Amino acid sequence: MKYLKHFRRNINKWSIFTVVLVLLIGIPIITIFLKIFLGPGESWLHIIENVLLDYTLNSIFLIFGCTVITVLFGVSSAWIVSRYTIPFQKQLEWMLILPLAIPSYITAYAYAGFFDYGGTLELMLKAIGIIGVKFNITNIFGLIFILGVSLFPYVYVSARSVFLYQSARLIEASKMLGVGEQKTFFKIVLPIARPGIVGGLLLVLMEVLNDYGAAQYYGVSTFTTGIFRSWFALEEPATAIYLSAILLIVVFAIIGIERWQRGSKNYAIANKSDIELSKIEVSKKRRFVLFLIVCIPVISGFLLPLFQLVYWSVLTASNVVSIAFFKIAFQSFGVAFLTAFLTVFLALLILYFPKWNRLQWLRKSSRIAILGYAIPGAIIAIGVMIPTLQFDKWMISFFKNNFEIAIGLIINGTIIVLIYAYIIRFLAVAFNPIEAAQSKIGKTLIESSNLLGRTNLITFVKIDFPLLKTALLSAFILVFVDVMKELPLTLILKPYNINTLAVKAYEYASDELIMEAALPSLCIILTGVLPIILLNKLILNGNKK
Amino acid sequence: MKYILEIIGLSKTFAQSKTAVINIIDLKIKTGDILAIVGESGSGKTTLARLIAGLETQDYGTIILNDTTIACDTIFKAPENRNIGMVFQDYALFPHLTVSENVGYGLSKKANKLERIAAVLERVGLHGFDNRFPFQLSGGQQQRVALARALAPEPELLILDEPFSNLDTNLKIKLRNDIFDILKQTNVTALFVTHDTQDAIAIADEIIVLKEGGIIQKGAPKKVYKCPNSSYVASLFGALVPLQQEDLFCFGFKPEAHKRYALRIEDFKINEAADYVLKAQVLKCQFAGQGFLNTAVLPNKSIVNMTTRSKIEGFFTLGFKNNDLLVFS
Repeated sequence: MKYLKHFRRNINKWSIFTVVLVLLIGIPIITIFLKIFLGPGESWLHIIENVLLDYTLNSIFLIFGCTVITVLFGVSSAWIVSRYTIPFQKQLEWMLILPLAIPSYITAYAYAGFFDYGGTLELMLKAIGIIGVKFNITNIFGLIFILGVSLFPYVYVSARSVFLYQSARLIEASKMLGVGEQKTFFKIVLPIARPGIVGGLLLVLMEVLNDYGAAQYYGVSTFTTGIFRSWFALEEPATAIYLSAILLIVVFAIIGIERWQRGSKNYAIANKSDIELSKIEVSKKRRFVLFLIVCIPVISGFLLPLFQLVYWSVLTASNVVSIAFFKIAFQSFGVAFLTAFLTVFLALLILYFPKWNRLQWLRKSSRIAILGYAIPGAIIAIGVMIPTLQFDKWMISFFKNNFEIAIGLIINGTIIVLIYAYIIRFLAVAFNPIEAAQSKIGKTLIESSNLLGRTNLITFVKIDFPLLKTALLSAFILVFVDVMKELPLTLILKPYNINTLAVKAYEYASDELIMEAALPSLCIILTGVLPIILLNKLILNGNKK
Repeated sequence: MKYILEIIGLSKTFAQSKTAVINIIDLKIKTGDILAIVGESGSGKTTLARLIAGLETQDYGTIILNDTTIACDTIFKAPENRNIGMVFQDYALFPHLTVSENVGYGLSKKANKLERIAAVLERVGLHGFDNRFPFQLSGGQQQRVALARALAPEPELLILDEPFSNLDTNLKIKLRNDIFDILKQTNVTALFVTHDTQDAIAIADEIIVLKEGGIIQKGAPKKVYKCPNSSYVASLFGALVPLQQEDLFCFGFKPEAHKRYALRIEDFKINEAADYVLKAQVLKCQFAGQGFLNTAVLPNKSIVNMTTRSKIEGFFTLGFKNNDLLVFS
């Protein structure tokens, strides 16, 4: 009785808005889970017998390989730039983030071209008289390398922020106790940084499982390529959904493991201090060695693919640049801009509606709305398609029965469904920086405004919004860049009359016109590089504050 | 007698903790009074204030403000509709608004808005600071802006949550007196949450002492200070020196069995007239700023601490007055 009374007392319009919003965002994922009970398609047996083991082994192998490479590159480079003075320190610090600006499928194209028969490497070797050296990179080892060098910055960024701002005082304490640099690193720094590093690694693994373009081009069968194959080649949505569901379970298991390891070891946060770590002075020779170590991921993850793409772009510019190309670029920007705007708006709603509602359990459960970033784009695409098709069917029969008007699909095959799927996928990308900034505003500021007689909405307009401007901008940029890069989801859901640079690059590459793929790829990279530099500055400033 | 605030059976448990943070509290505040809520940290003072303000929802109980029920099992008035003002510990000034924008924030678009802002700023002694931003002000000035902002809409009740904890001692005493004058002149009913009992004694008309979410004593400051009903309450108002039964026998005092006795550390009489005396020996005499902190041994070898104005050495006459002795059952 008491609970019912309290429920009626505490429920308000924001509670209802929260439920509607969470449902709107959650329906596609829920759909996938519900569809599992309907059973798979006809070729499911074939898949189990012939390819499921391949998918599983390849995916596991990819996960392990990428873990090793990204942790190795990410942690070593983060440690070197935060602990030592090396040549071009400042430049390297942000260049280590730049591989994120290149989508991994584009890095994959670039490397394929570089090592290919008659490719750039062969030409270069020929020029210095070496003939007959061949590398084949289009296999699973190549794929692990590609994903590793293009995704290690996630680990680098999280490791660096722990090294710089959390362990400074502890390292000093360890040194005062007479413990050497190496032992301090393994006994103090690494254990403290572990939750942060694993947090970064989680993002890497999400991207690895999300990848379609690179795996497909390198001929490696993974769950994601399997979903595409069942959907497009076998035309069996039920089977694709079944594969999606299995992949989802894997994803949630990985998230669970990450939560568990963080939950038991969250001491790192308690030690956060304002002290910045002082640098170790080393000999010139050693400094140069450290410099070279940091250069390896920068060159392999950014400079080499960039060089390859620029080279190809110069060769193919006259073929590729046309009115149609500008149209695609324009459409890409337009879709990304609109999506980023709507995603930031929805992220604000999903942040504030639960806060304004007074039901505690609803506040907590509303967080499932930001799970989308963990879910591979292909799955979200399928999850969005099913309920929207159902909606269209309802509309068609509604109009037919009531008005005797025959209408076609209303939202399917339009940009609405595409943007809806983007929003689900990238909501967390916008939500996280906004939430972080909002928590810095301080609860008392908002409460003061309420107590001075201002409603939640007016408080938002007058207090939160002006103080959140920077965070909103960075959230917008992050989503914009992610949409520009997105491939698997776009491939499935894009309308026929709209194209994006990412899809164009993929189409060129699939049509064996890999050199032509360079120019659209470069456009994507350019739109990604500038914001990343800006964001690096924002993050550094934020940490210093 | 008119009561502005009435609280009946208020209880609150947070999901994370099993025990109640606020445990069946009944409370009344007279119009125009300053009520201080004291207690050690975790005793529920701030939660009580936040429940009254509407920043938390209670599990049980009723809150009545000026004869209107603002919270009960079926009603919850949002904070913006309660007409309660609050000054936060961190002042919570809007960093992107000027002083006058901060103060005018709670005023609706009335013709006399500017006059009201000017009058309130004048009242807190910040005339001419209108266009400054909070970060350009000192801690004490920020505190005054926070007070002005809370007073501007003329709230029915003003809550001050640890308002002096971020200020240094000199400034605190000055500001404390100023705030007392302002509250009394504007005739605002105030609820003042503090862990510092000196602040409470200085400005409150009535004090309630909280422990584990319940009220364990209430009354006028002097009464609570002089006649604490437990050692918990007594120790909130200053350091206590517990006296054992045999210690008291040495003084010539006949204690009752099953009662516990204590003196405030400053209430010992050294070489002066007292109701009960004995000869004690100084073991240690430390300089402690305003006076001296002494450790002395009694004839029965018990060790006691006391503060004195001047330095003492060797054997001395130690005593206390009957009405300084604190008795707890």
